[in-house]
Amino acid sequence: MNRRSFTFPILMALIAIAPLIVHYPELLAQALIFGLLAAAFNLLLGELGFLSFGQAVFNGLGAYAAGLLLVHVAHMPILVVLAAAAVCGALGAAIVGFLASGGAGVYAVMLTFAFNELAYYLAFQMRDVTGGDNGLRGLVRPGFFGLDLSGNVAYYYFTAVIFLTVFYALLRIVDAPFGHVLRAIRENEARARTIGYDTRRFKVTAFVISGAITGIGGALYAMLYGFVPLEVVDFTTSTNIVIMGILGGIGSPYGAILGAGIFTLLSDRLSHVWAHWPLLLGVLFCTVVMVLRGGVVSLGARVAKRA
Amino acid sequence: MEPSLVAIEILNGVVLGVIYALVAAGLTLIFGMLDIPNFAHGAFYALGAYVAYTAMMHAGFPLALLAAPLAVGVVGIVLDALFIRKLARAGHTYQILFTLGLVMIVQEAIVLIWGPDPLSVDVPHGLGGGIALGVISFPYYRLFLVAIAALLIALVWLVLERTKLGAIIRAGIEDPEMVDAIGYDVQRLFTIVFGIGVALAAIAGALILPLRGGQPAMGNELNAISFVVVVIGGLGSFAGAVVGGILVGLVQSLMTLVFPAADEVAIFVAMAVVLLVRPQGLFGRR
Repeated sequence: MNRRSFTFPILMALIAIAPLIVHYPELLAQALIFGLLAAAFNLLLGELGFLSFGQAVFNGLGAYAAGLLLVHVAHMPILVVLAAAAVCGALGAAIVGFLASGGAGVYAVMLTFAFNELAYYLAFQMRDVTGGDNGLRGLVRPGFFGLDLSGNVAYYYFTAVIFLTVFYALLRIVDAPFGHVLRAIRENEARARTIGYDTRRFKVTAFVISGAITGIGGALYAMLYGFVPLEVVDFTTSTNIVIMGILGGIGSPYGAILGAGIFTLLSDRLSHVWAHWPLLLGVLFCTVVMVLRGGVVSLGARVAKRA
Repeated sequence: MEPSLVAIEILNGVVLGVIYALVAAGLTLIFGMLDIPNFAHGAFYALGAYVAYTAMMHAGFPLALLAAPLAVGVVGIVLDALFIRKLARAGHTYQILFTLGLVMIVQEAIVLIWGPDPLSVDVPHGLGGGIALGVISFPYYRLFLVAIAALLIALVWLVLERTKLGAIIRAGIEDPEMVDAIGYDVQRLFTIVFGIGVALAAIAGALILPLRGGQPAMGNELNAISFVVVVIGGLGSFAGAVVGGILVGLVQSLMTLVFPAADEVAIFVAMAVVLLVRPQGLFGRR
């Protein structure tokens, strides 16, 4: 057995006992949800080499899909809500991915950014549907086959099961031949095309997977707080996803989880201690970009190598 | 529609447009010429406004117009020499990410030093009042702003196109090794160009202060707009940045008459269309 196959059970165990150590299930659930968002972002940047500044679009699609279903349709099963959110996120990502993957470098980044602005504007203007800047209110969290999820500890464990399932699937995708093709495109797109891969199709597929996972994250978030704030589709959310992905490290899917954990914990704890904590976050972020490209997750490997 | 209303919005659009042009001209130097996608460009604009505010309180407006670009230019030069330059080999992605981190740092540093509340500043002495143009009146300060911005843009263009220094810089962009071999320190030149680029953003921030006031996140909007302008105008084209800036200012201003809710999103849609249909921009060569 290689080291990687140990990491997943350790992650499972940590997630299982976390509520016993940190008595704040909302925060833990939020960390897991952000972990999904960051992991979906890392699929694009870490594997494909595409920097997406538009992840909040897919997050928003998932959150609003879940919100609208729960507000307007009675007795929605929770898995149907999540599936609908995944489909909406995937559809949005297919469009953005198709249009952006035609461009190169900074232009493609600018396109994802433009789509984010457009999505925010639409969500803001369509008050009748989204509630505008008041948010979409009145979501009732459904149960799961008779299990009551209205308590936050129960919902944390539900989130954890979804998280682990999706994350495991993502690990498999990254290790599959599909993941190898993404990395081949990252290293040299022209070469990958010459070998015979339809690189654009692979890029769009990566976007679709990333969008589906991000959509699920958005739905879980909406059900956690019982409402959908306009912030779900704000550019700041896209930036936060970028920060989490980079902090943890884009070289490994586990990096995203670590980044999301650090970000969630810092923004919750540090903001009570020092109002200007974003300054520290900025310095930490710049430091990682300058000298620790593998992210915080690579620190362990570095230390192990030295010892 | 009232013709005087349209006239007012056109004039406002030009004022907004020259500010955009000034900031975008700076970004053209940095992104178009040096090939550094500086996502902190708007943060330098905000920093310029705040430095100008402090200088204004102590030494008056004329000195503030000098202090802002000088101070921010130095900050830019130090950041480029210490960090940004070293990321060139890592590629655009890491340069974007690093400058994104800079935005967080600058924005929070502004809150730390000047506080989170918006600034408001009176129009400088001697520039109050306005010229009567039929039924409407055009404030002197806006006229002054347009004149200063036009002067600066012309100056940078002249230096780039008509002086020996400009020729060396342009040659250095085409073929850095060759210019290095002739005996010029290309890296140092580029760092100075970076400083001039952010100084242009900073002076735009200083100029806008009496008009719109300031707030810590004021750079975000302008950062996005300056990238839009550079994309629409054509990457690397100085004329494109100027024309694109005024165009975007006019469109945004006139949209407030037709469909005010969409004034901001209209320019992003315009950028997306340009990117998809004519990626080289209006004035781009590629």
